[in-house]
Amino acid sequence: MQKEPSMVQDLDRALNAAKSAISRRESKEALRILKGISDPNSHFVAQSRITKVFASLDCGQLDLKPIRIALLASATIDHFADLLRFWLALDGFAANIWIAPYDTIAATILDEGSSLYSFRPDITWIFSTYRDVRIHANPDDATSIGGSINDLVLEYKKLWAKVQSQVHCVVIHNNADVPAEDAFGNFARQAAWTRRNVLHRYNLTLAEAAQAGVVIFDIDHIASTLGRSRWTDWRYWYHSKHPFSFEAHGPVAFHAARLISSIKGHARKCLVLDLDNTLWGGVIGDDGLPGIELGNGPAGEAFVDFQRYILALKERGIILAVCSKNDESIAKEPFEKHPDMQLRLSDIAVFRANWESKAENIREIARVLNIGLEAMVFVDDNPAERDLVRQFLPTVAVPDLPEDPSGFVQAVDGHCYFETITFSTEDRDRANYYRGNAARTELLASFSDMADYLRSLQMVSARGDMDVFHLPRMAQLINKSNQFHLTGTRYSESELRDRAAQPNVAVRFFKLEDKFGDNGLISVVVLEARNGQLIVDTWVMSCRVLGRTMEEFICNDMIETARRLDCHSIIGRYVPSGKNKLVCELYERLGFSLVEDHQGATTWRLGLKRELDQLNTFVAPTSHLEQADLQHA
Amino acid sequence: MHDRRVVTARLTKVFRETFDDNSIELRDETTAKDIMEWDSLTHIILVLAVEQEFGLSLNAAEIGSLENVGKMLDLLVVKATR
Repeated sequence: MQKEPSMVQDLDRALNAAKSAISRRESKEALRILKGISDPNSHFVAQSRITKVFASLDCGQLDLKPIRIALLASATIDHFADLLRFWLALDGFAANIWIAPYDTIAATILDEGSSLYSFRPDITWIFSTYRDVRIHANPDDATSIGGSINDLVLEYKKLWAKVQSQVHCVVIHNNADVPAEDAFGNFARQAAWTRRNVLHRYNLTLAEAAQAGVVIFDIDHIASTLGRSRWTDWRYWYHSKHPFSFEAHGPVAFHAARLISSIKGHARKCLVLDLDNTLWGGVIGDDGLPGIELGNGPAGEAFVDFQRYILALKERGIILAVCSKNDESIAKEPFEKHPDMQLRLSDIAVFRANWESKAENIREIARVLNIGLEAMVFVDDNPAERDLVRQFLPTVAVPDLPEDPSGFVQAVDGHCYFETITFSTEDRDRANYYRGNAARTELLASFSDMADYLRSLQMVSARGDMDVFHLPRMAQLINKSNQFHLTGTRYSESELRDRAAQPNVAVRFFKLEDKFGDNGLISVVVLEARNGQLIVDTWVMSCRVLGRTMEEFICNDMIETARRLDCHSIIGRYVPSGKNKLVCELYERLGFSLVEDHQGATTWRLGLKRELDQLNTFVAPTSHLEQADLQHA
Repeated sequence: MHDRRVVTARLTKVFRETFDDNSIELRDETTAKDIMEWDSLTHIILVLAVEQEFGLSLNAAEIGSLENVGKMLDLLVVKATR
């Protein structure tokens, strides 16, 4: 969380500065000022004043992505929506929010003529609370509780299906915020029919029922983080049907914005770490290996736990990098020799220890990893370094750290930088992919001939049409990819499923394995046959397999698809997104010829001759190992 | 009992901040009709700001009953804790 203005005057001053920036038509500067004073845990009145100034901003100047959100609730959520709009803007979105008439959740969804569907939302949000879980269990009939819960969840599943049959969107559904009060007190945990246990069971059942394209918003967790006694303010429930206290509005809007960011592929991917006084206490260059604080004493234990937290992030797929002002060999010593070090060198994808500017080093780390700066978080105990990075790399997230290391985990975790809505095996193995890439880089250095090197990798690709097993990862790849993404299209899981069901459309995935390991599912194409032409609607690929002739392999596969769908040419498009410069010449490299150039958006054509030569690739299809060898003979 | 003039001045500041309008002048008979943005939704924000400024917690019935400035002042001169 950002620092709260120490005094009301700070807020007034900042709001005035923002207003004068707006009058100068400097919207970006105004938003930067508002961001500097915003804190989801600050008083609602303060956030409301910030939001009001934000509302007068010209969002057209801000490069925000438009997003349409439909909220359905049986409570008053207008004030929440105001804050949500602001927090989404800080995450890069211009939100258009539509609120369904009060207490009409099911009616609105079931009515195909309702304004919900003409609004065409990107996200439909069933903003329910525990009050919507109308299950009354009693001790005489404990056995029927499971059935009642299932029945209710089944009704919600029908509503999800109805929404998704009418409009392509992600559905978000709140779980139940279990109230603090319970007639049975402590015993409420012990009997199946108490309200507390019924609601917990409902939350589990709801989570299990959420299929592709449905995301559960865990307001129960936000309630417990805030404190359940502060979560509810009954006065505003009775007066105006506000579902939770105004103190809770900021945290809910903040978490909601982070969740939506994650759904839209804006979550961060990489954690860049300082070393001295961040991962251990003291300065390794001065204090030496036995002198640093790590493992023993209160600070030493706190540093160990911070490292364990970072390790847990790595194990769920967050890439770790080091950026430290140190001599490299000295900086690596604790990783190699300290018994209490939790992080090992093998956990770090890129290790930069030198005396250059940290901003330069972070830029270099982003380049090596092939990820954008907006995917990075930088953690450093030194306020001056944090300031420098904020100033030179404004898109890198830089959380403030307290002086005491016992607060480090909370300081980083509270920002919800790494929210996710899926967890695939690719996520778990991502760190290994990057380690594998480092090994490949070393191997490359030992070859003078690129072809020899590529051949030595023994690359094999499993490919196929979309199926339910690969759908989540395929949608995830399309929505997360920015650099190797020819057209910038985004598809939710349900949209992708619908696309694949069309007879003239092929949605294909590609995996890549080599002698250093499995790279996982690394590319997806959406191809549509129209009037004898195969149009490449979408082509995304993970940048970590760039330059390995995977592009040529995929192009060969497209040619096969074109033949299968009776097409005589392939049409590829490049739509500049500001982030995909990397692939602006891809089609040219693959032998396509330019058909049209409309302000940088280009269209390319590959005519298919009767016996077209396949493009040269060192990647073999899984079942045809021997063929690939012939190809290069 | 607080000085009604002092309370009026502080309440004026709350109104001006809440509605982001420095031209607002309050009289006892000022109601939502006199201030364009004062509706049922901004009323809540106004009440929250009043609660914060004067250090008090209004009950559910009071929140709805403060339809004019005079009633607010009557309540605040008695109940304000700061």
